[in-house]
Amino acid sequence: MNKIFNHITRFVLLVLVQVFILNQLEIGSGILIMAYPLFIFLLPYELNLSFTLLISFVMGICIDAMSNTFGLHTSALLLFAYMRPLVFSRFASQEDYEMNKEANIYTLGTAWFILTFGTLLLLHHLWFFLFEVANLSELTYILKKTILSTIVSFLVCVGLQIIFVQKPKDR
Amino acid sequence: MRKLFAFFRRFQIFLLFVALQFIALSNYFTYSYFPRSQYLTTANNVTGALWETENEFTKYVNLGNSNRDLSFANKRLREKLPQSFIKLDYNQIKIDDTLYQTQYKYTPATVLNSTYDKANNFLTLNIGSKQGVKRGMGVICDKGVVGVVFKVSTHYSLVKSVLSTNPNIDVMLEEDGSFGLLKWTIRNARFANLSGISNDLPVKKWGAVLTRGGGGVFPRGIAVGKVYKVLPIEGRAQWDVQILLATNFKKLQNVYVIKNILKNEQRQLESVITNEEDHE
Repeated sequence: MNKIFNHITRFVLLVLVQVFILNQLEIGSGILIMAYPLFIFLLPYELNLSFTLLISFVMGICIDAMSNTFGLHTSALLLFAYMRPLVFSRFASQEDYEMNKEANIYTLGTAWFILTFGTLLLLHHLWFFLFEVANLSELTYILKKTILSTIVSFLVCVGLQIIFVQKPKDR
Repeated sequence: MRKLFAFFRRFQIFLLFVALQFIALSNYFTYSYFPRSQYLTTANNVTGALWETENEFTKYVNLGNSNRDLSFANKRLREKLPQSFIKLDYNQIKIDDTLYQTQYKYTPATVLNSTYDKANNFLTLNIGSKQGVKRGMGVICDKGVVGVVFKVSTHYSLVKSVLSTNPNIDVMLEEDGSFGLLKWTIRNARFANLSGISNDLPVKKWGAVLTRGGGGVFPRGIAVGKVYKVLPIEGRAQWDVQILLATNFKKLQNVYVIKNILKNEQRQLESVITNEEDHE
């Protein structure tokens, strides 16, 4: 029960932070910080994928409705949710996930976190900017935007994770 | 057999993914061009109210600047009042003026939410159809053109700003009156482009760019910006004119929505053109 409450708090906080703070920080060079995929990333590993997809759809709609993007965030977040199990199984074995109930930076290590979350976030951002610009002749602009934004988003997510995820006590 | 079932399960999830993806993307692409309802925008009553609360807190940050801008606008207008002029000719008889009739009315509005760094940028205003806002009305601020109303709900409205793919506002150069369409291809909040200026005449740098008022959306002569750079386009007899925009989209607080009282009359008259073409 406590766990579910935790996830709901994360959902609400991340939507609010994204819409009212991160979307407003237009720091130049087309950088857009998107931290809400962190919520989907921190969902329990054994959760049904169809359910994860539905949750990400709802979350995307919430963000889209408040930032006039009409479905763009939803689309990118769906890709993030769909690719999550594939990328997860790529970078660690099944047992690693079964041993730890929640997969995060503390339980599975920094290297794992950089690889999985970095890959997923890059995919998410690339998809988002591809459709936002919707013009392949501006590919260099899209790539520049994607790479710069991914780096900044990643750092912000690491910071947010320190707030959201409790560090397990030393065993 | 078990493998087959596993495959079907996988495939089901993939279908769900595709279906949801289709809803999201089709909504995104149709919305950017033909808005159907305001439910998924900041002009909807729930999200509009949320943004209004946010504005309650953040408006104080820009209060100093907005006040200064407004007092300058007041100063300019005050200088145009009859009291500000000395009468030089005492033989004139005052008569009721029937030569001029009001054509444009302005409704002040506050910007609740705005962006300038996205591929398409929108503003949410705190007035809507109750205050007489309609789709297609022009929006300006003290300094210049802001955009065109895109979607209206009862209490809020959504404005597509000049910083979007096809603002298509007809503008002219003040110097010689040659006109073209305003475009935004440069993806920088300070600049825009002007297309359709033929290159047989030189274009002066820092010359003013004003609205032309052809579509009846904006009055003639509202500032848009200044000519910043004039570049030749290869293979076309046109200049690519870059404009430094007059409006600072990063600090937009108070705007005016323009209502053109004579717009229907102009529409009716111009609709004759298409009708006649049909008959022939």
